[in-house]
Amino acid sequence: MIQFDHVCFGYDGLQSTLEDISFHVAAGEFVAVAGSNGAGKSTLAKLVNGLARPTAGRVVTGGMDTRKAHTSVLARSVGFLFQNPDRQICQNTVREEIQFGLTLRGFDPKETHARCQEVLDDFGFDGNAAPFSLSRGERQRLALASLLALRPRLLILDEPTTGLDYRECTHIMQIVRRQNCQGATVLMISHDMEIVQDYADRVLVLHEGRLLGDGPARRVLADRELLAQASLLPPQIADLALRLGEGFEGVFTAEEMVGRIEGRRSA
Amino acid sequence: MIRFEQVGFQYKGAPTFALRDISLTIKPGEFVGIIGSSGAGKTSLTRCINGVIPHHFPGNFYGAVTVDGMDTVVCGLDALSRKVGSVFQDIDGQMVASLVEDELLFGLENFAVPREEIPQRISAALEALGIAGLRQRAIASLSGGQKQKVAIAAILALRPDILVLDEPTGELDPASSRAIFSLLRTLNETYGMTIVVVEQKIMLLCEYVQRLLVMDAGSIRFDGPVRQVVAHSGELEALGVHCPRVVTLCGLLQACGLYQGPPAITVEQAQAMVKEALA
Amino acid sequence: MKGFLEYVPGDTPLHRLNPLTKLLLSLLICASCFVSGYHLFSVGIIILNLLMAASAGILRRAAVMLASLAKLSLVLFLIQVLCVRQGTPLLTLPLGLIITDRGVSFSLLIVLRLIAATLPLALMLSVTQLSDLSGALVDRVGVPYLYAFALTTAIRFIPVFAGEMSGIMEAQTARGVEFDSHNPFKKIRLILPLCVPLLISSVQRIEGSALSAQLRGFNLRRRHSGYKRYPFRITDLASLLAGAALIALAACI
Repeated sequence: MIQFDHVCFGYDGLQSTLEDISFHVAAGEFVAVAGSNGAGKSTLAKLVNGLARPTAGRVVTGGMDTRKAHTSVLARSVGFLFQNPDRQICQNTVREEIQFGLTLRGFDPKETHARCQEVLDDFGFDGNAAPFSLSRGERQRLALASLLALRPRLLILDEPTTGLDYRECTHIMQIVRRQNCQGATVLMISHDMEIVQDYADRVLVLHEGRLLGDGPARRVLADRELLAQASLLPPQIADLALRLGEGFEGVFTAEEMVGRIEGRRSA
Repeated sequence: MIRFEQVGFQYKGAPTFALRDISLTIKPGEFVGIIGSSGAGKTSLTRCINGVIPHHFPGNFYGAVTVDGMDTVVCGLDALSRKVGSVFQDIDGQMVASLVEDELLFGLENFAVPREEIPQRISAALEALGIAGLRQRAIASLSGGQKQKVAIAAILALRPDILVLDEPTGELDPASSRAIFSLLRTLNETYGMTIVVVEQKIMLLCEYVQRLLVMDAGSIRFDGPVRQVVAHSGELEALGVHCPRVVTLCGLLQACGLYQGPPAITVEQAQAMVKEALA
Repeated sequence: MKGFLEYVPGDTPLHRLNPLTKLLLSLLICASCFVSGYHLFSVGIIILNLLMAASAGILRRAAVMLASLAKLSLVLFLIQVLCVRQGTPLLTLPLGLIITDRGVSFSLLIVLRLIAATLPLALMLSVTQLSDLSGALVDRVGVPYLYAFALTTAIRFIPVFAGEMSGIMEAQTARGVEFDSHNPFKKIRLILPLCVPLLISSVQRIEGSALSAQLRGFNLRRRHSGYKRYPFRITDLASLLAGAALIALAACI
């Protein structure tokens, strides 16, 4: 679904933001990109849908080389959720906002109406509400809803939960997970290690424009040295297991930890 | 000393009250965290301390807030701003200058700090935050974490007794967020500054603050030492506040009778807890 | 053109002049070009500008500016030269167009004046911190601080809003709006509806900024609150006298 071949990128020909990045994401995967501010995570996301074009190397998304296809064409199969929903929302009502993307895609009014209604029901939105009367969390959900009406095969999420409280954050992530279970590929940018742990199957670690690590979430998130190089910490339970050392290898969740403790007590 | 006496507030034109019957005392030198879901009234509470409510946001204000004995309704924003420093979530929005030094100068000039004192105040504030090297830099060239430190330095130079921060780490990564909080701890411990901080990242609060307030629908639902408050993890979850994973672990261990000690809220405490459970 | 009027840090005599002197001096130089009707005078002013830029260590930037002004001037010259029909024809073109000696002389003067008058203002902004300019205007001239603050804030927010706008356009492109189209008319039609989100976020930003300024004692500020002083020194006097002399010279020749 996504293929990066030795991709380099620099803004204005200045010092490079990304250096020699290569990886492949297969259809249906849930991949997180973790790293600190300024590591190049957002740039990487923009390379995927062609908002940024590689200065060297090649990015292929859904079979299309991003240097040859317009972003607006790539947008047909790629949904991109930004950190700030207010940059996405530009219509006067919730219904119009959801229909906007569908109309752009050229669906006939009947199909547009049907899909819009489906998403409205699914998300429980009032179609006549004004987007700016909604809370920040609801606006983020609206932005996601208008993407999902287009049924993208690939979802890119750039820090989707920043500025949201825990409830709103879970709400958004549950919807994303459901999309993933229905076959959509997900690439999520995040520095919240708990969210990464809860939802991603695979983690890419990015630091100062270089790909430091790439592997299953369980392995990467328990690699303290790798994460430290990227100024990140393992999620709490993995951190705890690492500190406890011998006998607690591979413990990832609180339930596993209890199981391991019980096992050791009975042994 | 900050005292809320049965405070209620309704923003002009809003259908409901943002704050309902809040009574609260914060003693000098306390480090208080506030958490709660969005719309719970966290920001409104901090706005009552720095006087932005009711002086900037009009509405129906009930009860009384006193800061150092001054009634915030009577004394006005300018008098209050000498006592209370405020830091906001929108990092770019709160800047007023284009150079780091000018950003610090702004408040010092306004409050008519004597000329001979100014250079020393600027360097002391920058050094306290470990950003003395940024003094001549353009603010636009700094990272988010650096900018937020500049914002705090600009407040620190004014030497307020109370520091109020509204989600200061909202846009920052884990490393910069921790840097900001360990700095707040230093300010609290070294200078005895009273700190009130609204924060969504519960792990930071567990690690750094002494006292935690949990808000919901305009009221304070929990108020006490962090360890004590976080022990109510089930009720907090219902209020949309998610406890750290080690707290979940602690609850699970207690449920199966493996641990009876005090609740663990940080990884260090959890380490001790697991050792006890194994013993 | 990126960073074209941005401040270039330095500690040259030109940098050290009082901001007001720099402003006045650049205005005097501009005025002198219009006082004199003599081509070589404007050429002299252009050379003087380049020398001043060299002394402030920004010759490269001045050269870039000169080059872009020259391109613009060429277009203006061509339009102008075809419009003047008085004088002796030098060249007759199809469509009844002629180029006369008066036309050449007049158009040349216009563009030389344009270049010579633009450069000093641009140079002045390159060697003066905007905050110093506004500070000096408040401290020395008594311009109300509110206006000075509004001006510096407006300029400070330009890149912030430009960043916001490009963020909005990226977000819209990503959902399928064809901002990556090459048709400029189509692009403008697409951009217009986005002014609403930009306006909303800008107003929020500015409100936050105003509140932050207020909480740091903005209302307590008086004319002489500024820490930085902007005294006039002997060099300032000398520079202004030189500027006045330039005007006198322009008037005489």
